[in-house]
Amino acid sequence: MKVKIILLLFICLIITGCGNYRELNQIAIITGIGIDKNKDNYEVSVLIANADKNETSPKEGQSEPTVYFGTGNSLTKALKVIERKTPKQLYFGHINVVLISEDVAKDGFLKVADFLLRNPESRKKFYLILARDSKAKDALEIVSPLDAFPSQNIASLMGTNSQTQSITNSVTYSDFIKAILTPGKEGVLPSIKVKGKEKNKDNLNEISPNTYLELTSLAIFKDDKLAGFTTNNESAAINILKNTVKQSIFEVNYNNDIVSITTKNVSSKIKIKSPNKFDIKVTGEARIAEINSNTNLNNKKVIKKIENKLNKKIENQITKVIKNIQQKYQSDIFGFGNLVYQNYPKNFKKIENKWNDVYFPKIEVKVKANTELISTGSIENTIRKEKAK
Amino acid sequence: MVIEKNVQKNIEKIKKIYGYSTDISTRIIKLGKVNVGIIFLESSSAGLTVSDNVIKSINMIDDNKEIFQSVYDNLKNRIFNSQMTTTKDFNKFPYFLSAGFTIVLTDDSDEAIVLETRMPLDRGVTESSSEPILRGPKDSFTESHAKNLGLIRKRIKDENLWFEDITIGRRTKTRVNIGYIKDIASDEEVTYIKDKLKKINIDGILDSGNLREYLISEPSAFPQVQSTERPDLVSSALLNGKIVIFVENSPIALVLPAVFIDFIHTPEDYYQKPLNISITRILRFISLFITLFTPAIYIAITTFDQTVVPNELLISLAIQRESVPFPTAVEIIFLMTIFEILRESDIRMPSNMGTAMSIVGALVLGSAAVDAGIVSPIAVIVVAFTSICSLIFTDIDFMNGIRFWRFIFIISASFFGLIGIALAFIVFILKLASLENFGVSYLAPFSPFNPSAWKDAIVRFSMPKIFKRPSYIKIKNIRKQGEDNES
Repeated sequence: MKVKIILLLFICLIITGCGNYRELNQIAIITGIGIDKNKDNYEVSVLIANADKNETSPKEGQSEPTVYFGTGNSLTKALKVIERKTPKQLYFGHINVVLISEDVAKDGFLKVADFLLRNPESRKKFYLILARDSKAKDALEIVSPLDAFPSQNIASLMGTNSQTQSITNSVTYSDFIKAILTPGKEGVLPSIKVKGKEKNKDNLNEISPNTYLELTSLAIFKDDKLAGFTTNNESAAINILKNTVKQSIFEVNYNNDIVSITTKNVSSKIKIKSPNKFDIKVTGEARIAEINSNTNLNNKKVIKKIENKLNKKIENQITKVIKNIQQKYQSDIFGFGNLVYQNYPKNFKKIENKWNDVYFPKIEVKVKANTELISTGSIENTIRKEKAK
Repeated sequence: MVIEKNVQKNIEKIKKIYGYSTDISTRIIKLGKVNVGIIFLESSSAGLTVSDNVIKSINMIDDNKEIFQSVYDNLKNRIFNSQMTTTKDFNKFPYFLSAGFTIVLTDDSDEAIVLETRMPLDRGVTESSSEPILRGPKDSFTESHAKNLGLIRKRIKDENLWFEDITIGRRTKTRVNIGYIKDIASDEEVTYIKDKLKKINIDGILDSGNLREYLISEPSAFPQVQSTERPDLVSSALLNGKIVIFVENSPIALVLPAVFIDFIHTPEDYYQKPLNISITRILRFISLFITLFTPAIYIAITTFDQTVVPNELLISLAIQRESVPFPTAVEIIFLMTIFEILRESDIRMPSNMGTAMSIVGALVLGSAAVDAGIVSPIAVIVVAFTSICSLIFTDIDFMNGIRFWRFIFIISASFFGLIGIALAFIVFILKLASLENFGVSYLAPFSPFNPSAWKDAIVRFSMPKIFKRPSYIKIKNIRKQGEDNES
């Protein structure tokens, strides 16, 4: 009996296979991939993290970003070209970020999506970002003084800002593919811009960096193809609708003065009335961030008025952006179609193919914002009013 | 052999048995017409005691024929000594002589008087060196049998605390003592242990360590008998219904049955606050797992399952390993071996050379090996961390048991990655759970699950809340606090 059990355990060990044995110094850890298109070929650049160019003792282990580059009519072929240039085995398990260029996006993302989804190593939870107005390779090569490693720089730029900036929103690889596959819903991607020309390591020594990356507004997709970019204001409204933003800033006019208001925990709920009528409710909290006039904030009526103005503003922005997207892009990034699919599955099946082009532009949406101005910040009144006391 | 009624002849016989060894001392004193013979070994008896107590009292005895019929009777009743026995068996003489007794013979009797005149060959009671604690009694057992029993008697003043002697060793004739509290410990177990001890037929027992292997039936890397030099630990074990074995000339007592968790507890646990000690115990469990698995997991995640490592960590690991020429498993085994060698040599070396040792050790293990690019800094951290965590446990056998399994985990990890560790862990648990000594499962109270004993397992409840002795040990009387009729 004992012998049998031992034999069984041994067989268990053997059939797991030890084919995936590899030492850390035999693999090239890819942390970023850039995909560009050059006519019919894809230009793939991979950012390798564990290149030790110093050749000193491992004590001073400072990683040096290295980008390898290959061309081919598919991702696999391009990567095969890269493999010929690298002395180490490419390893896809720790990708931070994948950048695609506008050309690739316009041509259709699904043409390049398969490889990383099928690869058993890759985690599918990395950020997918559109490189705007530049090659993805260039964006991958920018080093920043705050985070010396490019892919990590992009990832942390994305990670911290998706919470605090309303114009962008982090999208992972699997999120985006899920959005494409969900019936009645289209995807958006955050975009990034290269500012400045030079891209060398001297950047690290400058006090104000010559070249840097900046997050810009959202890119609208229709099916898997890029349809266009939104403006910053539109992005904020889209993010509120998609419940993907925690903080955003609004400016309202009051008494000929601009009041800046930060909103917190804003959430929206879409209710379906009929296949082409929707109600949107926005709730949340707001706080006055900046006010420079001599408005009396101690007056509850004033607060109420500002609150109303804010709500109007939010309603306006949302209505406007829905209208704009309905007319300009005909791409249902909000998922109204999905709600129809959930509530009227049989009807939706018939119109699914024409939803974006015919039905989505016709839907009517009513927006009701109900945010509360709960705080005036660290000081109660405006500075002038405080002084008047 | 009987004792002859002739002092001269008897002395001659003894000298012959001992091969005329130089340390045999004899003396004949005439008391009237009767010869009185005194025999002792000057190597094991205290000469001063012999002359002060024995010879002096023999010389001072007057020939009081009205009361005593013979000189022998007179001596037997009037000689100065607190410990005296008589024997008619000549064959017992060598044992008594070697144990430090003085034998007094007379011409007119075939019986001998045996007096205790042992030379104090033991050191005094000192602080425990191998099981130090911060708060609690500091005394420890010594090589003196009587002192060891005394240290226990001093603590447990119950007449039900029984000590039974068995002599083991054809040549050493070592006194082995089984101690237990009669109305707590199970009779069955006491007889079982006695039978086992009686069956031992060897020429010599020098330390309690020799006995251990005769008591356990199943082989295992982990100790199944607890060895300790702390009287307070032994006392608390006795109170819990365990059985203790003392061996003459050994400062280490054996406590059995011992289960896995006994090696994680310390006697100090019961002298400190329960909440704090519970946290300490959890820390000990954590370090148990760390010391068992860290090197294996490090090997597994760097050679097979890189996907489970967070991004930044993997990159940092990869950079550190860049210039290391050996595979990770070799690197780790190399460092672990160096550490084990250091530890072993540190024990064997006189303590005044220890400083030189630790400097070299720190340099070799630490910076030099890393600077030379032979090992990566992270490997040094892993091995150092593992080793520190293993030093938490005081029992050397337990530490070595951990070491054995750690190497098994390392080997299975270096061939099969995390799956290998998981499988080795299954084997580890199977092995521990199947161990049983004296009817107690080694993993008690976890397996078999025994919730009442959990009050003093991973965490410790406060003393007033623990009414019962651990019930996984076979005992007659489970209640240790309060009256039996209380619920």
